[in-house]
Amino acid sequence: MTWVTWRQYRYQGALAAALLAALAAALVISGLHAAQVWHAALSGCMKDNRCGGVSLAGPAVMTLVVATSVVPLLPGLFWGAPAVAHELETGTNQFAWTQSITKRRWLAVRAAWLLLAAAVLAGAVSALVTWWSGPDNALSRDAFEANRFDITGIVPVGYAIFAMALGICAGVLLRRTLPAIAVTLAGFAGARVLFAQWVRLHYMTPVTVYYKLTGSWAPKGSYLSVSQGIVGPDGRPPTGLSSYVFNGAPVPAECAKVMQNPAPCMAAHGYRAYLTYQPADRFWAFQGIETGIFVLLAAILLGVAFWVLRRRDA
Amino acid sequence: MAAIETTGLAKRYRRVTALSDCTISVPQGRISALVGPNGAGKTTLLRLLTGLAAPTAGRATVLGGMPRQDPGYLAGIGFLAQDIPLYRRLSAADHIGIGAHLNPRWDGELVRSRLAGLKIPLNRPVGTLSGGQRAQVALALTLAKRPRVLLLDEPLAALDPLARQNFLGALAEAAAGPDGGLTIVLSSHLLADIDRVCDHLILLASSRVQLCGDTEALLEEHRILVGPRQDTTAIGRTHTIVREDTTARQTTLLVRTNGPVLDPAWAVEEPNLEEIVLGYMRQDGAEDGGGPAAGRLSAVGGDR
Repeated sequence: MTWVTWRQYRYQGALAAALLAALAAALVISGLHAAQVWHAALSGCMKDNRCGGVSLAGPAVMTLVVATSVVPLLPGLFWGAPAVAHELETGTNQFAWTQSITKRRWLAVRAAWLLLAAAVLAGAVSALVTWWSGPDNALSRDAFEANRFDITGIVPVGYAIFAMALGICAGVLLRRTLPAIAVTLAGFAGARVLFAQWVRLHYMTPVTVYYKLTGSWAPKGSYLSVSQGIVGPDGRPPTGLSSYVFNGAPVPAECAKVMQNPAPCMAAHGYRAYLTYQPADRFWAFQGIETGIFVLLAAILLGVAFWVLRRRDA
Repeated sequence: MAAIETTGLAKRYRRVTALSDCTISVPQGRISALVGPNGAGKTTLLRLLTGLAAPTAGRATVLGGMPRQDPGYLAGIGFLAQDIPLYRRLSAADHIGIGAHLNPRWDGELVRSRLAGLKIPLNRPVGTLSGGQRAQVALALTLAKRPRVLLLDEPLAALDPLARQNFLGALAEAAAGPDGGLTIVLSSHLLADIDRVCDHLILLASSRVQLCGDTEALLEEHRILVGPRQDTTAIGRTHTIVREDTTARQTTLLVRTNGPVLDPAWAVEEPNLEEIVLGYMRQDGAEDGGGPAAGRLSAVGGDR
């Protein structure tokens, strides 16, 4: 069955390898350049904190790097969704499943290789992007931000496994390739947005730091911001002249007279600024948690696929 | 020993009944023609026998085992599905490789020599072959499994008359081959296509078995009676009237006899297989809808 899977996917595999090689070439070349710029900056502007204008790569490369966030989706979309659906559509499952092999084993071996291929592909791209992002993360402290967190470390592997399982499961359920592709696309995008925007913030209890309104403060390294704002002495956000806003909060009535610079007045009245965030040292814990969740979701989807495949007539 | 046996086999989909109360028996070594109009349940019956579909009632036994998803069971049967599904982008050689990796007894040489004899290229994607060539590739692949029961669903539909002759020739040759005991069920909606090679017949219509038996016995049992227009009650008492055609002056009956027809009012003729099949199919068409006639017919099919 391994041979059979290879025979059926060898052209797709070759195409994927070629695309991966092209991407690797682009990232290695621009990554080396970025590293060079970074090292020059380290000995120059970083010392006196004037690195605002440093550009590590052109917009094309930046776009390419961010665009690798769709890489984990592609194997699931183009190999996973048709894996069963295309066989059912063309009737070739009747050929495959009347050889001396059960459909269950047939799917198990095929799914295992496809999952492995997806994981390896996403892992390779992620390794490249993680390496490429080193200087950029250090310069912009953005490793924890959506768009960066999502394309580095091990989460892309989790996403790829999830997308592949979703594609296979959608194909088994819908029995047709195009709808399965559509569902895979929508499900993957939905899950990614849901996790990046809402779920990820709450993997661990965030840390809240209060600081003076008159000063400024930021955590070390690439943190993940959950919320920030101003609270009064009663611990509640200020209410007041809502048409006048300071740092996103309405200016309280007692400070209405110093509208141009209400910070000292508000501080005197006991108002403080706060930041609730996930510290930078939780990066890998968050990577692990998110990867684990997506792998678990993939396992559930595969379970559904096998169950439906067994129950339904072929 | 019967290679294929079913008892009360039925398959219902959500709204339609594809097959009901199907009781048949195909002895080992027969080439059985599974005939019936489109939608009669032929494909459903074959898929139930392969284990690709599960019955909603009744049971089937093939080579002593229940059709199921099991390597041992699957190794014994060869199935050629309708429309001859093969991987269009893979070559015949690729398919031979697939078969070799998925089957315990596999005779790749058989496919190679067979296709070489038919001058069918091994290394072209099968999607680029003609329909007849594809059917031959698929049949060769099915035979290479060395099955003991061969189930073929409308394999002739896509073929021109010459290719049909070639295909049936190949089939007859395989049945007579060294393995012996190969049982074949071959479905078609046209009996004329296959009666040359078949020695057993299963007739399905409206999801029910109308006839099942060896062709010789069926020919022996059925008679066409022709006589002046008259009352048929008397003849119906001894024999089963399958179909009655009445014109202004003449009555023609197809009867399943129960002993010799002695009434001198009737001229007795021996029907051919096609006349028998058409007699049963017409009767079904005229009284479609499961009235009393349908009940009687299933009894006819069921008593074997």
